[in-house]
Amino acid sequence: MAAAAKPVSGPTYADIDRGVRKIMEAPGLAYWAWVGFCFTLVAIAAALWTRQIYEGLGVTGLRQGPMWAMYITNFVFWVGIAHSGTLISAILYLFRTRWRTAVYRVAETMTLFAVLTAGLFPIIHVGRPWYAYWLLPYPNERSLQPDFRSPLVWDAFAVSTYLTISALFLIMGLIPDVANARDVAKGWRKVLYSIVSLGWQGTDTQWQHWSMAYLLLAGLATPLVLSVHSVVSWDFAMAQLPGWHSTIFAPYFVAGAIFSGVAMVLTLVIPMRKIMHLEDLITDWHLDSLAKVILLTGLIVTYSYGIESFMVWYSKDPIEMMTFHERYFGYHGWVFWVCIFCNCIVPLALFSPRIRRNTVLLFIITIFVNIGMWFERFMIVAVSQENNFNPSQWAIYHPSITEIMITVGSFGWFLGLFSLFARFMPIISMTELKEGIHWLREAVRDDYYPGLK
Amino acid sequence: MRTMSEGFSRRSFLKLAATAGAAAAVPGCQPAARKLIPYVVPDENVIPGVPQFYATTCTECGAGCGVVARIREGRVIKLEGNPADPIGKGTICARGHAALQGVYNPDRLRNPMRRQGSSLKTLSWEDAEKLLNDALKAAAAKGKDRVAYIGPAHQGPTLRAITEAWLAAYQSKRGIFYEAISESPARDAAEMCFGRRDLPVYHLDKAEVLISFGADFNETWRSPVELARQFAGFRAPQMRRGKLAIGYAYYVSPRMSVTAGRCDEWIPAPAGAEAAIALSVLNVILSQGWVSPNAQVDVAGLKSFVASYDPASVSQQTGVPAKIIEAMGERFGKADGAVALAGGDDPATHAAAYVLNVVTGNLGRTMEFLEGMPPEPETRTNDIVAALDSMRNGEVDVLFIAETNPVFTMPPAWRAAEAIQKVPLVVWAGGVPGETAEYAHLLLPLHHPLEDWRDTFPRAGVHGLGQPVMQPVFWSKPLGDLLITSARESGAKNAAPWENSQDALRSAWTKLNPKAADAEGFWIQSLREGGYFETAQQAQVKLNVAALKTSPASRQLPKLVLAAYPHPFLYDGRGADKPWLQEVPEPVTQIVWDSWAEIHPETARQYGISTNQVVEIRSSEGVIKTSALVSERVCKGVVAIPTGQGHTALGRYAKGVGANPFALLKPGQWSAPITITPTHDTHELATALFKNHQLGRSIVEAQTVTELASGVQPREWQEPEVPKPHEMYPNWEYPTHQWGMTIDANACTGCSACVAACYAENNIPVVGREEVLNNRIMSWIRVERFYPEKKYEHQPLLFLAPMLCQQCHHAPCEPVCPVFAAYHTQEGLNGQVYNRCVGTRYCENNCPYKVRRFNWWEPEWPEPLNYQLNPDVTVRGAGVMEKCTFCVQRIRHAEINAMIEKRPVRDGEIVPACVQTCPTHAISFGDMNDKNSEMMKRRVAAHNEQRAYASLKELNTQPAITYLRELYNEREKA
Repeated sequence: MAAAAKPVSGPTYADIDRGVRKIMEAPGLAYWAWVGFCFTLVAIAAALWTRQIYEGLGVTGLRQGPMWAMYITNFVFWVGIAHSGTLISAILYLFRTRWRTAVYRVAETMTLFAVLTAGLFPIIHVGRPWYAYWLLPYPNERSLQPDFRSPLVWDAFAVSTYLTISALFLIMGLIPDVANARDVAKGWRKVLYSIVSLGWQGTDTQWQHWSMAYLLLAGLATPLVLSVHSVVSWDFAMAQLPGWHSTIFAPYFVAGAIFSGVAMVLTLVIPMRKIMHLEDLITDWHLDSLAKVILLTGLIVTYSYGIESFMVWYSKDPIEMMTFHERYFGYHGWVFWVCIFCNCIVPLALFSPRIRRNTVLLFIITIFVNIGMWFERFMIVAVSQENNFNPSQWAIYHPSITEIMITVGSFGWFLGLFSLFARFMPIISMTELKEGIHWLREAVRDDYYPGLK
Repeated sequence: MRTMSEGFSRRSFLKLAATAGAAAAVPGCQPAARKLIPYVVPDENVIPGVPQFYATTCTECGAGCGVVARIREGRVIKLEGNPADPIGKGTICARGHAALQGVYNPDRLRNPMRRQGSSLKTLSWEDAEKLLNDALKAAAAKGKDRVAYIGPAHQGPTLRAITEAWLAAYQSKRGIFYEAISESPARDAAEMCFGRRDLPVYHLDKAEVLISFGADFNETWRSPVELARQFAGFRAPQMRRGKLAIGYAYYVSPRMSVTAGRCDEWIPAPAGAEAAIALSVLNVILSQGWVSPNAQVDVAGLKSFVASYDPASVSQQTGVPAKIIEAMGERFGKADGAVALAGGDDPATHAAAYVLNVVTGNLGRTMEFLEGMPPEPETRTNDIVAALDSMRNGEVDVLFIAETNPVFTMPPAWRAAEAIQKVPLVVWAGGVPGETAEYAHLLLPLHHPLEDWRDTFPRAGVHGLGQPVMQPVFWSKPLGDLLITSARESGAKNAAPWENSQDALRSAWTKLNPKAADAEGFWIQSLREGGYFETAQQAQVKLNVAALKTSPASRQLPKLVLAAYPHPFLYDGRGADKPWLQEVPEPVTQIVWDSWAEIHPETARQYGISTNQVVEIRSSEGVIKTSALVSERVCKGVVAIPTGQGHTALGRYAKGVGANPFALLKPGQWSAPITITPTHDTHELATALFKNHQLGRSIVEAQTVTELASGVQPREWQEPEVPKPHEMYPNWEYPTHQWGMTIDANACTGCSACVAACYAENNIPVVGREEVLNNRIMSWIRVERFYPEKKYEHQPLLFLAPMLCQQCHHAPCEPVCPVFAAYHTQEGLNGQVYNRCVGTRYCENNCPYKVRRFNWWEPEWPEPLNYQLNPDVTVRGAGVMEKCTFCVQRIRHAEINAMIEKRPVRDGEIVPACVQTCPTHAISFGDMNDKNSEMMKRRVAAHNEQRAYASLKELNTQPAITYLRELYNEREKA
C-alpha cells in the first residue's frame, strides 16, 4: 500500500489538496466511455418511458393484483440508498464520528442522486404522469387539495423535503472545497466553481457562519433519516393488504435503508478508491467502519424478518399466514430465499475483521446486499400483492422489458450523474479531512489496527 | 289481453308509453337511410339527452324474450327485458344484451357485394336484386325445385310465411330451415309418447325434486331466462310439509355445466348413457309402486318396457352406482311435484323424462302441453339431406342462404360446402359474413332484427312483435322486403300478397286480433307492449305406452367419447362475432376467447395429457385441435368440448379462435367415439379467475337448509364477534339516501347476464385473450365462482355470486387516494372521479374485493361499435382507475326526475343495469335509509334468519352489499 511507505507523520494539508484536485483534472477516454454508456442506458429507458406514456401502462407487466411492482420497488430501493448518505453526513457529523470525513461527500452525493432517481419512479409509475403534480398542494381556482390522509401525499412531502435538505446540505458542504478548486481552476471550470462557491474567501466570519449553517442543516437533516423512510414504509403499512399491514414497517424499513445505503456507499467507494488512487485519503479504516455499520443494520434486518414472520404466526390470522406461506414457498418464493441469503447470511461474514479489510470480498458482499435489498423491496411490494384477500384475483407478476430497461436505466442515470459529479466536483471533503488530519494520519499507519497482526 | 294497469312499475309504464310514438317515429320499411347522420335538422320527437324506449323482441335464440330498446339520439344503446313479456318478464340473458354488437358489428357486410374471381366487388342494390331475380326467373323457367333456400328455424311466423311464399313463387319446395341445436329429438319423443310433435312447457317452481338429464336449462336449453327464473323459485326456501325446504335437484350428464353446478348432485354419466339412467329411475319408481294414482297409465306395459333397466345392470353398464339411481327414483317418486328434463340427441332420454313426469302425476302440473303451439319450425333431416343431394347433383340453380351458417354448423357427413359449391348462383344474405358466405357469389347485407320488423311465436299464447328501433347502420335491406320484391318479380299470380314485410306483419296481426273492430288500436297496443300475450289452453294428452320403444340398450359406450355441448354464450357459433360474449367468462371453467377439451384427470393421465396442452381429437368425421383442460368436472372417459368456436371467417372477433366440434359429429348426434393424441404444442387457456378455491375466506358463503331452518351459522364461516374497533374519523352520515344492494347468492345461476348488461351500460372495453391472460379483464361485475375445497366434501358443487363494488361504508380505497379521485358520496357510494384520477392504483391495492379496474391501454371501439356507447357514462382513457358506481347515472336520472316533480325518489325507481337484467331477481337495489324498501325488507328478513353475510366482514369495511348465503341440501354419503 502506498500509504505504508510514507513517514509516520502521514499526509499533509498539501497532500490532501493535491489528492483531491488531481481527481478533478480532465478525465480520459475511458471515463467518457463509461459516462456515455451510463447515459445510453438512460436514453433507452427514456425512449421506453415515452412509449409507455403514449400507449399506456399496458406495456408493463403490471396487472390486476400486482398493481405496483418494479417501479415502486425501485422507488423504495433508491430512497433507501439515499438514507445512508444523510446518516453519515448528518448524524455522524453531530456525533463527531471520526471516520466519516473521507466518505461523507461520496455518501451525500449518492444521497442526492439516489433521491433524484427515486423521485422519478412515482412519476413513471402513475397512469397519468402529466397530472402527478396534483399530489402537491398548490393554489388553484377550484380549491382542490390533496387528501392528507393518503400516505402517498405524505410521501410526496417526505421525498421532496428530503431532496431539498440533502441538496442544500451537499451544496453547503461543497462551498469551501469548490472555492479551493476555483483557486487553481482555469477556463469554464473557473466560472462554474466561482458560481458554486458563492464568493467564498475563507475569512473567519465566513467560516464561523458556514460552520453554524452546516451544523443547523445537520440538525435539520437528522430527523429526516428516520422519518423519510418511515413515511415510505407507511405507503405499505397503512394499507390493509396482508404482507403490508404491519406496525414494524417503519424501523424495519429504516434499518433496511441504512443497510442498503451503506452497502451502496461501499460499492461506489471501493472501485473509486482503486481507480482514482485514493488509498491515502480513504483508508481501510474507513471501509472497515462502514462494514461494521452494514453488519449491525444487517442484523437488525434479519431480526425484522424474524419478528415479521413471528407476528404473523402469533396472530393466527389465516389470511396473513397464507400470504406468508406463499411468500416463502409460492411462485416467487425464491425471492424470499434470495433475501435471506443476501441480507441475513452473507453479511455475517463481516464479523471477521479479515473479510472487512479485504476490499475485494467487501465489494462482493456489498453487491450481494444491494441485490438482496432490491429483492426484499420487490418481495414486499409485488409478491404481497400477488396473494391478496380474494383468491380469485390473485395473479403472478411478470416484468416486461419496459420495466426491466427502465430499472437498468435508473442505474445508468444514477451512476452517470455520480460519475460526472465525482470528476468535476470535489468528491472528498478537503475541509473535513484537514480538520481531522490527525486521525487520518493515524489511519494510514500500518499499526492502526492493534490486534490485526 | 293484458293491460298495462296491473303489476306494472312506473318505469315500465314509461317505457311502454314511450313506444306509443314508435309507429310514427320509426319510418318502418321505407328505403333505408344510407348513413347515420348527425342532427343537422333536429327531429321534433327527439329531445337530445332524453332516451326513448321501444318494445321489440329478441331474436338471438328461439326463446323469443321481449325486449325494450333504449334509444339515445337515434341509436340503440341498450337492450333490457320487456316487463310485459311473459317469458323474460323484464329480463334478458347475456346473449340478448350482445344483440347490440350484432347491430354495430364492425365486420358486418356494409353493402351488396359480388364475387369476381377471388375478390369481392361492391355493387348497387338495383344491380344486385336484378342479378338475383333474373337468375331466379331463369331457374324457375327451367322447372320445379331449381331454387333452394337455407335459413334458421327461429325467424318468426311472418318471415317464415314470406319465405315460403317466395319459394312457392319460384315453384320450389327446397326450403331448409336448420338449427344445429335441434329440438327434433324432443319432438320425436313427444310424438312417440303422446302422438304430437310439439314441445311441452315446464313449471320448475311447482316441483320439489328435479332431475335434468343433460338439459342446461339455465344456459341454452329451450327458454333459459324463463327456466332460470322458475329454477330460482324451485330453489328458494319455503315451507313444505311443515319443514323449511328447498327443491332437490339432480343433474345427470357427462360434464358439469353451470346448470349442473347449481343442482345438489351432479351424476357423471358417460355421453349416451343418460337414457339408460332415466329408464332405470323409471324402473325404480314402477317397481316400488310410486306411480301416482292420477297418472292413468298402463303400469304393466311400462314395467315390461323398462324391465331390462334395473339399477344393478344399468349401473354396470354406465358406471353410475345403483344406490344413486335408487335414491333418485325414491326422491322423484315420493315428491309432491317433480319434474324431469332431458337434453341431448337421444329421443329415448326425452321420452324417459316425459314418462317419468307422467307416471308421477306431474303431467299438467310441472309439465304441460298447450293447445295452439307453433308448428315445428325445423326442416326434417331427410328433407335437408335430399335438398343438399339435389344441389350436389346440379339440380339447383339458385341457392339463397339467409342469416345462417350451414357450412359451419352442419355435420361433415352432409358435405354442405361441397353441395353449395355445385350451385351456379349462391346468394348469401345476413350480417357478418361467416364461413358460408365464403362460397357465395352474391352477398347481400340484411337489416339486423333490431332494424327490421319481426314477430316471434315461441309458444302458444305468446306473440312477440318486433319493430325497428333505429335507422339501419349500413346500406342493408330487410330480408322480408327482399323476398317479397323478389317473389313479385317472379310473375307468379298473387305470389306475395304484401307490400312489404311491415305490411305482412300487419296483416298477420289483423288475424290475431280477438276483436276485429279496432284493428289500429290493437296494432298500436301490440307495438307498445311488444306483442300480444294471452293465456293458452292446456292440451289433454295421454301417454301411449304401446308406442314406446327404445334404442339405448344397443348403444355401445365407447372407451373414449366426445361430449359436445352448446357454449352458454356462443351457442352454435352465432355469438362468436360478438366481443362481449367472447369476453364474458364461461361460468364454470371461466375460460374466455377460446375452446377447450375438458378431460378427467384419470383419463388425462392415461393419455399423458396436461392442461393447456394442445390435443388432436379425431372421430370418424374429422379431426380438430384444441387445448386440453384437465378437470374433475367431467366424467371419466369423456372429452367435453363446447360448440361455437373454431371459425375460419365471421369477422375479426371469431376468426381463428378455438376449434369447432361440429366437425367431429355425425348428423343428429352430440357425442361421438373419438381418439385423442397429445401434441407437443401448448396453448394457454385464458381464464378470468386465478384460484379455484376461496381458501376458507368469506367471499361466497353457503349453508344447508337445515342450518337455515334452525337459525345456525354455517360452521365454516363461524367467527368470534370482534369488538367494535376505535374509529378515528367521524362516521359518515347519509341524510337523504344510502344506496345498497341485497344479493341472494342462492338465486344466482351464473348466467352472467349482469356482466353483459354492465358492459353495455357502462362502456366497459373488451380486452381480448392476451390481456385476459395478463389478468387485465375490465369487467366491473363478475360472477365469482369457487369450487368447494377437498376438506369440505359436503359443500355445494359451485359457489357462485356476483361480485361488484361493495360501496363500503369504511372504504379502504378512499383514504389512500392522494387526490380525492376516490371519495365518499353523501349517498354512501364510493365515487370515482375519472378526471381527477392520476392513476396511482393505490385504491385497487387496498381493495380487498379487487373490484376496481385500471385502464392499461386506451380503450378501442372499432367503428361503428362506438355508436353503442352510453352517452350518460364517461369513456375512460388510459391511466385511469374505474369501477362500479351502482350505475350512478341512473341514480342521478331518477333523482333529477324526482326533483322536477317535487317528490321523493320512489323505491324501485332506480334500477342499476345488473339488477334490471337478473333473470332470477337475485340482486335488489334500494335505499338503506328506507326500511320499507324491497331491498331492505329482503335484507332484514335474511338477518333475522341468520342467512345474511357481508363479504370479508372481518375487515370492517362495512359493505353496502349484503349477501344471502347459498343454500344447499345435505347429500347422503355415496
